[in-house]
Amino acid sequence: MSANYALEARDLSVRYGGVTANDGVSMHLAQGEIRGLIGPNGAGKSTFIDALSGRRAIAAGSVHLAGSDITALGVVERRLLGLSRSFQRTSIFPGMRIGVQMELAASKIPDADPDEVMRELGLDRLAGRVADEISYGDQRRLDIALALVGRPSVLLLDEPMAGLSVEESMKLARHLRNLARNWGVSVLLVEHDMEVVFGISDSITVLETGKLLAEGTPDEVRAHPKVREAYLGSAA
Amino acid sequence: MSAIITATALEDTQVKRNPGVMRLCAMAAAAVAVGLTVNMSVTSNGLMSLLTQATIYAVFALGLGFLLKQNGMVSFGHALFFGMAGYLVGAAVTLTGWPVGMVVVLTVAAIGMFAFGLALVIVRVPGIAFGMLTLAIGQSFYVLVSKSRGFTGGADGMNINFPAQVFGMELASFQNPSSMFLICWLVLVALVLLLALLLRTGFGPLTEAIRENEERARFIGFRTLLPRAAVFAVSAMVTAVGGVLSALYTGFVSPESLHWSVSGTVLIMVVLGGSRTLWGPAVGAVVYYLFRDFVGEHTTHWMSIFGVSLIAVIVLWPAGIAGGVMRAATSLQRAAARRLA
Amino acid sequence: MIAIQILNGLVYGSLLMIVASGLVLIYGLRRVVNFAHGSLFMLGAYIAYAASLQFGFGGGLLAAVAALAAVGFCLDRFGFRLLQDRDPLTVMLVTFGLLLVFEDVVQSIWGKQSYSLAAPEALQGTVDLFGSPFPVYRLAIVAVGALVAACLVGWLRYSRIGLFIRGASTDPVTTAMQGVNTDRLSGGVVAVGAALAGLAGVVSGPFLSLSPTMGSDILIDSFVVVVIGGLGSFAGAFVAAMILGQVQALGAVYLPDLAALLPFALMTAVLIWRPSGLSGSRV
Ligand SMILES: Nc1ncnc2c1ncn2[C@@H]1O[C@H](COP(=O)(O)OP(=O)(O)OP(=O)(O)O)[C@@H](O)[C@H]1O
Ligand SMILES: [Mg+2]
Repeated sequence: MSANYALEARDLSVRYGGVTANDGVSMHLAQGEIRGLIGPNGAGKSTFIDALSGRRAIAAGSVHLAGSDITALGVVERRLLGLSRSFQRTSIFPGMRIGVQMELAASKIPDADPDEVMRELGLDRLAGRVADEISYGDQRRLDIALALVGRPSVLLLDEPMAGLSVEESMKLARHLRNLARNWGVSVLLVEHDMEVVFGISDSITVLETGKLLAEGTPDEVRAHPKVREAYLGSAA
Repeated sequence: MSAIITATALEDTQVKRNPGVMRLCAMAAAAVAVGLTVNMSVTSNGLMSLLTQATIYAVFALGLGFLLKQNGMVSFGHALFFGMAGYLVGAAVTLTGWPVGMVVVLTVAAIGMFAFGLALVIVRVPGIAFGMLTLAIGQSFYVLVSKSRGFTGGADGMNINFPAQVFGMELASFQNPSSMFLICWLVLVALVLLLALLLRTGFGPLTEAIRENEERARFIGFRTLLPRAAVFAVSAMVTAVGGVLSALYTGFVSPESLHWSVSGTVLIMVVLGGSRTLWGPAVGAVVYYLFRDFVGEHTTHWMSIFGVSLIAVIVLWPAGIAGGVMRAATSLQRAAARRLA
Repeated sequence: MIAIQILNGLVYGSLLMIVASGLVLIYGLRRVVNFAHGSLFMLGAYIAYAASLQFGFGGGLLAAVAALAAVGFCLDRFGFRLLQDRDPLTVMLVTFGLLLVFEDVVQSIWGKQSYSLAAPEALQGTVDLFGSPFPVYRLAIVAVGALVAACLVGWLRYSRIGLFIRGASTDPVTTAMQGVNTDRLSGGVVAVGAALAGLAGVVSGPFLSLSPTMGSDILIDSFVVVVIGGLGSFAGAFVAAMILGQVQALGAVYLPDLAALLPFALMTAVLIWRPSGLSGSRV
């Protein structure tokens, strides 16, 4: 069965010294699926993305990309196999022109079109500007654009909408939907904006203090008693 | 009208970002012309020899600056490559009868390989520890050579008996300030041109990206160890060329040329000149020598004055002389564009 | 014979430890690699020498430590604090400029010749250890080293300031976010760091000789210590100083031709094994 999943994590555990930030978390992403990953601050969402993308060594468990075990592979290999990510704390090349860094990101992947990505994210008019001179929102979108170049098969996005205006968020959400529906890209979306997450996700995973709390369709998760109690509160 | 101006301005920035090969060659030709003019107009032998010295160190600074510019790393041990080049050339000339041209090429290549291997190990050490590490490595070679016995001459240094013909020229042309200045200047211009061409390939943006954000470079699919080691090796090779020139000019190498204070001094030249351009460090070297000559005539507290000016430049003018020149050039250009409009 | 060499290694290791822990303190709080640290060491030795001519060794020691603490405070107040938003390389080069100034100052006051600082009366002479005479003063250096180490451990472990320093050296961002005022602390901390360099300079006076190059010699060895130990780690620096002391002392006897290369070889080996030093980046 697992060969059908674009990405699968089995019983993933990550420790920082004594703190267990991910405790036996399992999750899967089908091709073209958008999965929301939510949970309160410090739940271990970024850690999970770090573990999937190879940034952080894992203590136990395994990661599979399109059915093959990539647990032992490094960051670079994972990206070249089509697993790409963005960062919660904006990670770009501050002293370089936007066009140049996008071209660089594209140069490693056959048939990648950096101009198309820049157009989609509204960065095309900024191509000649140096990254640390553009606005914070534009920098956030550059971070995402760097991850989108070459249309990876799996995208891990860590709070991509933080710092974007409502309008920009909606646009990005539409873009992600388009990528998933029309290009079969699988997306793992960490986001605090519940409206967006529940709006565009096919399924949702809830983490709390490193453990899987709930999992299912948006409606199932919304109705899940533990989630209501622990996370959404009475407001939901 | 305004559309045309925007278009030309755009073109202009495009040219600046990506100066065409023709443009680079034109700039190199202009630099050669400057060298010729200096060579013809300076008559004082003292000044000429000062300028020759400065040009040799400009080559050294070019190498060290390249490392800082493309890797963002500071080496306090580059004198190792400078001095080692002199020793290798000297040893090969003394022990084998090989033509000097071949010896020089082999020396630079050997230093390149040595530096590459070394870099594979040390380049993984994070930023600031890297400077301390290079310092210790360079210094251990300094101690090793100054305590050595045999033909390297230990602390006294080693005389190199070059054959009468070097590169098909009289040895005397390498040891006379006026002709040697010209040779060094041409080498310097050629190296700047070569490095500029190298940076126009994919190697330029790649190493820049690694310098800016190594982790992200890996997350867009680039292995970073080899490019960083390559930058270090290229930088060491350029520095080695400086060491070869110095050995040719003086016919002598001493362990002092390996001492970390030499690395430190050249680093000062780099910072003074500004490391955001290739040519900045070379300018820094020339300014350093002229300034030292000028101040040295008036006081013995050269080191203090220099230390204080170094601090002042770093604090007040972080982009160095080259940075200032570039800023001035940009604002001049803007002013000109405005007048046209 | 070997026992004596091990003792000598312990002596040099203790000196290195004192110097290196000052470097670590300054690095920990300010993220500054202080190239002027060796000059502070040298300055301490020379000030103690000058003062000892009048007031004896004890007077010299007090004068040097007090003077260096003042220098350290000024260094932070008028240097590091103003430069804290700058790139670490920039600040490192500023300390390099300071090194030039300090060396010039020492040379213009005392010249290039070397001096020696007399050990206090009570510590002159030798004791018999393992069948051969061993200078009492060297044992005193080990005692001072142990005392400094104990004080530092106590201070870092049990005082509030120590907690902050350990926090700041592992994670300056979080510590800053927790509302620790680094500026208020750092004047004192850098003063302590500089005073430690000065103390080591004084203590080494009767052991090594005073010369204008003494600063850069010890600077390089203590850089090796700090890098091997892992930048910002006290425990790492303690261990690395002891190892390096042994390597120097035993190497000088058993591998005299290669002794100079040993620290480098050791450092390379450690860094291949662990790129960020023995301790990683933990304290
Ligand atoms: N580098 C680290 N060292 C030690 N502990 C860490 C580190 N990074 C994260 N942690 C801890 O691990 C836990 C999970 O952190 P993580 O950043 O993954 O949470 P998160 O769900 O992404 O939170 P947020 O919504 O605030 O981004 C937290 O308790 C955090 O304090
Ligand atoms: Mg997070």
